Amino acid sequence: MACWYKNNNGGIVISARIRLARNLSDMPFPRRMTPQMFIDLKERVSNAIKALPSDLALKFIEMNNVPETEINAMVERHVISPDFAKNYKDRAIALSADESVSIMIGEEDHIRIQVISEGASLDEAYDIANSIDTALNESLHFAFDDRLGYLTECPTNIGTGLRASLMLHLPVCESRGEINMVADAAGKIGLTVRGMYGEGSKSSASLYQISNQITLGISEKNAIENLKIIASQIEEREKQCRNTIEKINIEDTVFRSLGILKYARLLSTDEFMKHISMIKLGIDEGIIEGRNINPVELLISAQPYMLMKNCVAQTPGERDEARAKMIRELL
Amino acid sequence: MLCQVCGKNNATTHIKTVINGKVTEQNLCGYCAAKKGYSSFSGSSISGLLSSMLGNTVKTDASLYEKHCQNCGTSFANIAETGKVGCAECYKVFEDELYVYLKRIHGSVKHTGKTPGRKELVVAKTTDRISELKIKLTNLVAEEKYEEAAVVRDQIKKLEEEK
Repeated sequence: MACWYKNNNGGIVISARIRLARNLSDMPFPRRMTPQMFIDLKERVSNAIKALPSDLALKFIEMNNVPETEINAMVERHVISPDFAKNYKDRAIALSADESVSIMIGEEDHIRIQVISEGASLDEAYDIANSIDTALNESLHFAFDDRLGYLTECPTNIGTGLRASLMLHLPVCESRGEINMVADAAGKIGLTVRGMYGEGSKSSASLYQISNQITLGISEKNAIENLKIIASQIEEREKQCRNTIEKINIEDTVFRSLGILKYARLLSTDEFMKHISMIKLGIDEGIIEGRNINPVELLISAQPYMLMKNCVAQTPGERDEARAKMIRELL
Repeated sequence: MLCQVCGKNNATTHIKTVINGKVTEQNLCGYCAAKKGYSSFSGSSISGLLSSMLGNTVKTDASLYEKHCQNCGTSFANIAETGKVGCAECYKVFEDELYVYLKRIHGSVKHTGKTPGRKELVVAKTTDRISELKIKLTNLVAEEKYEEAAVVRDQIKKLEEEK
């Protein structure tokens, strides 16, 4: 599997993500753990990870050794969750070289297996997460109850412990105020619609994450199928909306954004996200042709901590300048 | 637009608060917003919703303050406050208290997904068991063993309800 943003093929569905929550049966959940228990947990999980198939080549990283800028940049790249970044002390992750597989140790649950892939390939991502889960279970005993399934710290995750999500780019649905309608429809079958960085985050660049909410009483396969069906309906709706706009209007919006990104000297994250979203729309609709740029990768590299890490730009002002320079040189 | 607190940096965070119906809006820069405790990643969460549901139970039944999990020491009041459970054992200790909420959140309290150590799904196992019982039922009826057939019929009914 390849990195979801570096190798993005375009289209409305940007990425597919699978997360499985697992806990060891003989240890309290992370909120109740002592520092010594975290040491034990990391040792046991790292030993189990060593036994995983070698093609995964997961690197074990102690979070205490990672600079804070990089920790926040990891959130921006969706490698770790915002909650994990807040409580990273004494925690660890195991990460594949392309960052498509990450195992967070000591997040809300002892183990969170995450697989992210480009496009709508949920099944492929689930197969990988499932095989990692099965392999870890060879040496680790997971907390499980016949009736309640996998037991988790938050009762909202018990059962399968599965959170499957698809990230969609919905600029036209959004501009028509149809997102609430989409969210209502999704809610009716146990799905939620959230911003780019999950729970509690607002949407940016018209990116929305649609994920399953119900984990008990529904199998992994059915939860994923439901999500796929709703996501494809939303994708269809976005396409219909795009088709009803006069070509000249959509071209005008796209080229105005291109103009700003080409010549601006200062770009805040919000402004950048708004315009790069239009560039993505332009490329996907064949309005901007022959340009060798990947807007999904750009919108990740333009995030504040990614810039701080890569461009030594520290203050918000310096970052706005670095962000404008980065995109100007590319266009 | 400049930040309304420091007046130096550009405002990047828009905060809207509603207190007793009075709406106040503020535009702050990242630093000032963080100082006031607003982070770009924070927000209302589903577990917050859960803890408010559980909190009402504690208010109406004070004895729940006393009940503790022997394994990790978590009280039901702790769970109600945080919306988080202390350990795997808590699900047994607070089974009755949590049942109604699990049902409300998930609509079901019967796991039908993967089981550790086995790749096949539990639901497949249940379905197999039902078809097995159905064959048994047909045979019993053919043999005119109606009393035994009634027991098997009830077993099938129960399994189908649990599915």
